[in-house]
Amino acid sequence: MSEEEIVRAKSPIPFSAGFRWSVGEVMEHFIKSLGERKILGGKCPRCGYTYVPPRNRCGKCYSEIKPENLTELSGKGVLVGYTIAHVELDGVGNIKDLEEPLVIGAVKLDGADSTIFVPIGEVKPEEVKSGMRVEVAWREETEGEIGDIKYFKPAG
Amino acid sequence: MWRNVAVIGVGQTKHGRRRDVNTAEMISEAAWRAIEDAEIAPEDIDAIVIGNMQGFGGICQAELWAGDWIGAPGKSVLRVATGGTTGGSVAQAAMYSVISGLYDVVLAIGFEKHSDSKEPGATTGLAHVGLANLFYMFNYGAPMRALFALSGGVGAAAGVSSYQAMFYMHRSGCRIEHYDMVAAKSRRNAAKNEYAHLQWPNCTPDDIAKTPMVAYPLRFGHICPASDGASAIIVASEEIARRVDRPAWVKGLAACADEENQMGENAQGVGILDTSEQLQCRIAAMKAYEMAKIRNPREEIDVAEIYQPFPHQELMYAEKLMLFDDGKAWIALEEGETEIDGRIPIDPSGGVLSTNAIGSSAMQRVAECALQIMGKAGKHQVPKDVKNAVAHGWGGSTNFTVVTVLGDAPRR
Amino acid sequence: MGVRRVAIVGYAQTKHQWDMPKTREDMVFEVAKGAAEMAGVTREEIDTVINASSDYLDGRTISELFLTMPSGAYLKDYTKTEMDGAFAALYGVMKILAGTHDVALIVANTQGSTFNPHQVSYHMLDPTFDRQLKVLNDMAIAAIQARMYMDKYGVAEEEVAMVSVKNLWCAAKNPNAHRKMPGVTVEDVLGSKMLYEPIRELMMSPVSDGACAVVLASEEKARKLTDNPVWIEGVGSSQDFYVRDRNLQRLEALEKAARRAYRMAGIKDPFAEIDVAEVTERYAHEELMIYEALGFCEEGKARRLVDNYVTWLGGQMPVNPSGGALGADPITATGLIRIVEAAKQIRGEAGAYQVPEVRRALAHGQAGICAQSNIVFILGGEE
Repeated sequence: MSEEEIVRAKSPIPFSAGFRWSVGEVMEHFIKSLGERKILGGKCPRCGYTYVPPRNRCGKCYSEIKPENLTELSGKGVLVGYTIAHVELDGVGNIKDLEEPLVIGAVKLDGADSTIFVPIGEVKPEEVKSGMRVEVAWREETEGEIGDIKYFKPAG
Repeated sequence: MWRNVAVIGVGQTKHGRRRDVNTAEMISEAAWRAIEDAEIAPEDIDAIVIGNMQGFGGICQAELWAGDWIGAPGKSVLRVATGGTTGGSVAQAAMYSVISGLYDVVLAIGFEKHSDSKEPGATTGLAHVGLANLFYMFNYGAPMRALFALSGGVGAAAGVSSYQAMFYMHRSGCRIEHYDMVAAKSRRNAAKNEYAHLQWPNCTPDDIAKTPMVAYPLRFGHICPASDGASAIIVASEEIARRVDRPAWVKGLAACADEENQMGENAQGVGILDTSEQLQCRIAAMKAYEMAKIRNPREEIDVAEIYQPFPHQELMYAEKLMLFDDGKAWIALEEGETEIDGRIPIDPSGGVLSTNAIGSSAMQRVAECALQIMGKAGKHQVPKDVKNAVAHGWGGSTNFTVVTVLGDAPRR
Repeated sequence: MGVRRVAIVGYAQTKHQWDMPKTREDMVFEVAKGAAEMAGVTREEIDTVINASSDYLDGRTISELFLTMPSGAYLKDYTKTEMDGAFAALYGVMKILAGTHDVALIVANTQGSTFNPHQVSYHMLDPTFDRQLKVLNDMAIAAIQARMYMDKYGVAEEEVAMVSVKNLWCAAKNPNAHRKMPGVTVEDVLGSKMLYEPIRELMMSPVSDGACAVVLASEEKARKLTDNPVWIEGVGSSQDFYVRDRNLQRLEALEKAARRAYRMAGIKDPFAEIDVAEVTERYAHEELMIYEALGFCEEGKARRLVDNYVTWLGGQMPVNPSGGALGADPITATGLIRIVEAAKQIRGEAGAYQVPEVRRALAHGQAGICAQSNIVFILGGEE
């Protein structure tokens, strides 16, 4: 399951809107595997398009993708695009300045066809280049949740 | 100009608490079942119409993410959402899409995933944006407690429905026992419907009467659940429909808005605050029947799927749909006329009372009528010839209605 | 396009602005009434009303609940589409083509000041993964797209800023536009606040409050109402893959939508046969990508059209003489406004930003992040 922060209404009406989405079978595998420091992709058995994170139906050829089609990726890939964020949204619609600029990258993992959009760490904004090799940086203690991916960093 | 179109395929998910799938997978289940049922290839679909009530599941325009699951890329995608009638409005948008001649095969999907919200049932959706509905409840003097109790299970306009149930009792002379009978019938029928949520095979009115009172005259057993689920239909042009054994032809469709009925002081209108009047339902029904060339609905309609999250609505709308005289539906109920094997079966699927994934519910009414005409309703197939069926949807705060008439032959 | 033809016979829009001192309902009433008055139709003559508004943007479920009355929908056939208003116009066209309705009123509205549309874009993302990383929204993704496009074709940020200058200069002539910056320069744009590199504030559409309404009519009805109907000659729409699995470097869905619209309208050479285009460019670099997707030029060459003043007012192929979305962006209304602005050009009502001798115009609306879903209308005046 994945969680969303609760947005508290600023009024006397005691309401909050929180969500707790069920993720489905293949995504459960993906999230659990993060606990083992593994990134799984879902490879379409018909056309071979590999999704990250995996999904149970191929968008390109409509085939079903099952748990047995999950494949372990190296966690390394290429930075195909990036931006340097100087602001962020605070969750209720205000644009706030960031204290430190944040690099957000579009990463194509080796062995996968999807592009994932992830924070890039351990790099100075002026040193980021498209085409750089990057790899996943894991949280110290992984717990089998999305937060186990701290960010991606330049590959050693 | 008008050209004939038909429903050629239906797909539904099992409705209930679906923690085993995410929203995209759930939508996908219904869509692919409909595609399979219609015996077409996904490439044959020209356009997709989809809708749900976004606030309830916490995803804005979910079709942008879920579209990849249902073959949306490369196709025209239209989102339609009208509260409780969403599924019916989506179905009608798909029908207009094909009747217009711009598209030949359109996939229509309605869905809702209530269980993704942290608060029980539909409370988050209501809470997230229920301002309009809250005003109505407070206008009537209903307390917050009642809102929570009712919304624990249901969708919008929950509070007002208890008042509507009282208005109907007063107008028609029926008793709360009749509401128990409608609810029990719904649970029994739902038990014959593999996709329904609350299934209770031998439910009796006494079983319902034993449940606690929530807001008079609505008992806990009278209240629809908040289900997760999706339902889909494939609408096709006449040429393509003729390749199918028994398509369900679209003979008439109409929608009518009378939210002004409730505006009252809020919007400086003069409201007739009897929520059981439902003028817009009568208008929509008249238009749809006229289009379908049905002059005597009482005789010509073989089965009705009415949007009834609360039991009084099955009776009330049956009258507004001109299947019975005003105030007389409860007599037919007593005499068993509205049972699956009765003269005019109402909600053989169990209806919204037993299954309510809001975005899907009004679509299911259309889908169920199509199934009855196609002879594919399985254990809840009515044991009679189905020449004409009427599908009804209700929503808005209390006064928005869609009516669709399907038949076993195109309109002449 | 089938046996029946559909025309635009009336329209109205608000003066778009930040935090409009009007309720949503009053704003909608203003344009619904205005469009009906311009068309010369009474409320009784309207057969169907379609609202375009978004529950998320309006901050309320069933956002159309209090809008039925100000839209004139009392006891009428009614529905709501929940995406850009240009799609609602498509639905209105379909209802008329079906022969079941003769006159349709389309009303689109958003008060962006209610709930920042950029925040809403975050809620469009995959809740099981992308949202969990907490850094993404449409600005970040657009910025990544801008960088990719600029690097691939060697486009300088000055050239992207030129798009802003062009559109804001036009917006200054448009009485309905939100941003009024008459003397804006490339330096002003490049000096505006950096948000997500390379996107700066003036390279991004403003958050606007606004509404727009259009009256559509069947041919028979249109001819009774006006001597100057604007015909819908073609329409096409298409949705792209979700952001992780689409080619961000191209607007492929727009390409498909445009091709469908061109085919319906019988257009073989869009650059030659279209006189003016009103497109929805949420970001300045997006307009460059839009030129390419619409087939106005080859891939990578879009900047030449700006550098050489081709798409400026006075150029060979003016794009966004009204100022476009960079001038005013009341999200759900924006695409419908593009249709209205294109119609105004055909009818010669565009005042200070009128393009001379417009016979055919293109209008474009989009929905989703980085134009994931697109719709293109081709409009034509009387021969």
